[in-house]
Amino acid sequence: MVKCTINGIDIEVEAGTSVIEAFKQAGQDIAHYCWHPGLSVAGVCRLCMVEIEGNPRLQIACNTQVAEGMKVTNQSEMVKDAVKWGLDFHLINHPLDCPICDQAGECGLQDQYMHFGKYDPEMALSKVKKHKVVDLGERVVLDSERCILCSRCVRFTEEVSKSNELGIFNRGDRSEIGTFDGMPLNNKYSVNTVDICPVGALTSKDFRFRQRVWFLKDKPSVCTGCSTGCNIDVYFNKDGVWRVKPHHSDVNGYWMCDEGRDIYKAVNPITTDFVGERENKKAVKKPNRILSAHSYHDGKMEFISTAETVSSIELGSFSNPALIVTGQYSNEEYDSILGFWKSKAGGKNIFHWQNQPEQWQDFDGLLIRGDKNPNTKGLLASLEKHGLQAQSQLPSMEGFDFVLVLGPENQWVYDNISQVADQVSQAKKVIWLSACHLEKASQMPKHVTFVPAKTFVEKSGSFTNFEGKVQSFAMVDVFVEEALDLQQVTQWFAGERVTASLAHPWQSVHNEFIHERGEL
Amino acid sequence: MEVKILTEHYSDDNYRSLDGYKAKGGYETLKKAFSMKPEDIVAEVKASGLRGRGGAGFPTGVKWGFLPNNGEPRYLLCNADEGEPCTFKDRMMMEKAPHQLIEGMIISAFAIGSHKSYIYIRGEYVYAAKVLEKAIKEAYDAGLLGKNIMGSGFDHDLDVYRGAGAYICGEETGMISSLEGKKGQPKLKPPFPAVQGYLAKPTIVNNVETLAAVIPIIRDGAAAYRKNGTEKSAGTKLFSVAGDVNKPGNYEVPLGYKMIDLINNECGGVKGGKLKAAIPGGTSAPIITAEEIEKATLDYECLAEMGTMLGSGSIVIMNDTRCMVDMMKVISHFYHHESCGQCTPCREGTGWLHKLVTSVITGQAKLTDIDLLCEVANKMKGRTICALSDAAALPVLGIVPKFRDEFEFYIKEGYSKVRGKSHGQMHH
Repeated sequence: MVKCTINGIDIEVEAGTSVIEAFKQAGQDIAHYCWHPGLSVAGVCRLCMVEIEGNPRLQIACNTQVAEGMKVTNQSEMVKDAVKWGLDFHLINHPLDCPICDQAGECGLQDQYMHFGKYDPEMALSKVKKHKVVDLGERVVLDSERCILCSRCVRFTEEVSKSNELGIFNRGDRSEIGTFDGMPLNNKYSVNTVDICPVGALTSKDFRFRQRVWFLKDKPSVCTGCSTGCNIDVYFNKDGVWRVKPHHSDVNGYWMCDEGRDIYKAVNPITTDFVGERENKKAVKKPNRILSAHSYHDGKMEFISTAETVSSIELGSFSNPALIVTGQYSNEEYDSILGFWKSKAGGKNIFHWQNQPEQWQDFDGLLIRGDKNPNTKGLLASLEKHGLQAQSQLPSMEGFDFVLVLGPENQWVYDNISQVADQVSQAKKVIWLSACHLEKASQMPKHVTFVPAKTFVEKSGSFTNFEGKVQSFAMVDVFVEEALDLQQVTQWFAGERVTASLAHPWQSVHNEFIHERGEL
Repeated sequence: MEVKILTEHYSDDNYRSLDGYKAKGGYETLKKAFSMKPEDIVAEVKASGLRGRGGAGFPTGVKWGFLPNNGEPRYLLCNADEGEPCTFKDRMMMEKAPHQLIEGMIISAFAIGSHKSYIYIRGEYVYAAKVLEKAIKEAYDAGLLGKNIMGSGFDHDLDVYRGAGAYICGEETGMISSLEGKKGQPKLKPPFPAVQGYLAKPTIVNNVETLAAVIPIIRDGAAAYRKNGTEKSAGTKLFSVAGDVNKPGNYEVPLGYKMIDLINNECGGVKGGKLKAAIPGGTSAPIITAEEIEKATLDYECLAEMGTMLGSGSIVIMNDTRCMVDMMKVISHFYHHESCGQCTPCREGTGWLHKLVTSVITGQAKLTDIDLLCEVANKMKGRTICALSDAAALPVLGIVPKFRDEFEFYIKEGYSKVRGKSHGQMHH
């Protein structure tokens, strides 16, 4: 450990800590753009200037290691002046188009100007013109004029995704981020560049122009995209979830994959963009979630009371019931339903519906795993705990008089879903729990009843990830009021009726200020 | 008086061939060096007081002493990316005496224990590169490069690497990046090249003239080398004199020589008018006025005292028909064009300076912009990874305060105080 003094505060840090990290540890604000804890040091923004006692020249905190007894400050007039001018240099060619910029509200330039700047600009000459609306790849758009060339995105593709698509082209104030010919930014982690972009230069095609960030709240959760269990922040308002971003943790560091960013699309009652319809340029508004229990009669949807449907099931009355489970529910839910199944149905006929199990051991070396279920480990543990056996092959369902399907929340990773639907409809009575509508649901026979299931943001619980780490998550908000989690299903099966109120799927769009306004 | 130590035989056309070079005692010093211990060579260079001739003036022997003893391979890089405007001494050295550089490099490589070196040559120096390549081939054929040179047991390989015309690749870490095949951008220091340079291995970067100067130091000894020059600026140095003089060119004079003597004696006096000002060490060096030139001696200390620097030793002489606003515009355009764009103060500041100076000429400037010009330059200084930002700022801090009247006149009247309403003669 090394002792040092940061802005008059004595702290001890580990040997090899950089001064900027020491500032963070001491809880002191320090201006910076190019430094990112998950990337190498570039030392180019020249904002994290500090004064070290005994050194007449200002040093950058990111490339200076703490030495024993070092006394560092960023409160001196010399540092303040350097930071003020550093900001001014960043802003002279910046378009200052905050009113139409998606980053506004979470922009490094805005925040740091309000914190460290607040000067009168002196640049009265014409600004450098650069490329705008540059299509970098499938998910990311670049506005070069907003770019402050911190090189975070370039270093990300070099060091983290190791795909090297991005580079800085040209030199001086004509420098621009860009991709090489025929090599668009299409790696599986590309949207991380948007997250780490401190300004509005890189924006996500999925999120841009959809919401102003100050209308969104965020709460932590766990990604359901695969068995890695990346920690995420869910950004939402009363109309639904608008994006998820990685939340720093031991599991995922600072990153998450692009696939994982789509999980919110299974949550919103109405989505404007279905997965798989990215090519369709017209944004289609469709109700996505199942809002109430229903079945189909000659292709027409017939609503049934969710409460009556579920609570009318008397499990003991069936001679040969079956349970089909997927790895997309929480540990608590498995515990509840499997316990109930054991006591009422003797624990028979449990089938583990698996999507491409031959790929489950796949790992891309960074975050993406082949098991596209967040909780396969948890399911297996729960089965073991209850002393139950699950078969991985789905047999013909003709012989069963009741089948309860715990359908997947992220349907798009189950490529055999319509095949399973056909198979299941052979049973006499089926209850299919699902968060979203199935593509071929309308062709299903009348004895298949769909019951709305809660998504991961609407319940609290825990997932056990690939390495057996149990990660709990809390409810973010409820978007479909009639949706049930498996504990509720169990309760209702057991006759403990809990009334559910009707959903209001077609809420009018009404924004509200979540955060207090800053200084204007 | 010119003292020709390095340039003694440059008038001999045959000197660039191996035979011609050997006829004048070439590669004899290398033979002597092989009879010495490497550490004695380093000590001799240290004792000679030789300072880097590329611009920074850092003591060469001290630099060599920074190499860590960790058993890693070491690289010697010759910086021949002579990009400082108005400097053309290395070009002449390489074109006239390629074997002098090669011999100097082998001796230096032997001294620091390097088995691989590169000459990073400016892309525009096509002819010099050809001459060097030919000379290197001759040296290989004669067993002066490769395995077991002159039976000494010392192996050394030497290659020429051509740059692509970026000024920033003359900065040693920018040059290393370029040589590694990356975009030529300076690297963060620490680590310094002597510890982690080319391919993250210990590396020494020396200028062409510095490496050539190792030969007379080893041949005649440090004491003989010190007979020329001053206590702190030992030896002779090549000066590239350009601008308004009758005989522009490269001149080798002892350090400490009077600048006015160089102008009046060697260069045949000022042409086309009265002496107005001079830039003593490449355009990055702040300008000095005619009065200051009278007092200036060509050594590191005197020029530093005057607030400027010896730099690469390229002297630009200006007569009284030269408009300083025009001059400022040409200089600021150069740095705007050449900033690598990595560090924000330099990337944005060089463009800002250029735009401010241009606005003076286009009549868009206010009188307060003169102070702003100096303020911007001041804030660019000492805040970046390499010295390009300083190199762009220093000429402003020299020219603008010293010739403020010309800037004020231009802003108020809309035309040049010096050349009137006629178009400037200086173009870039």
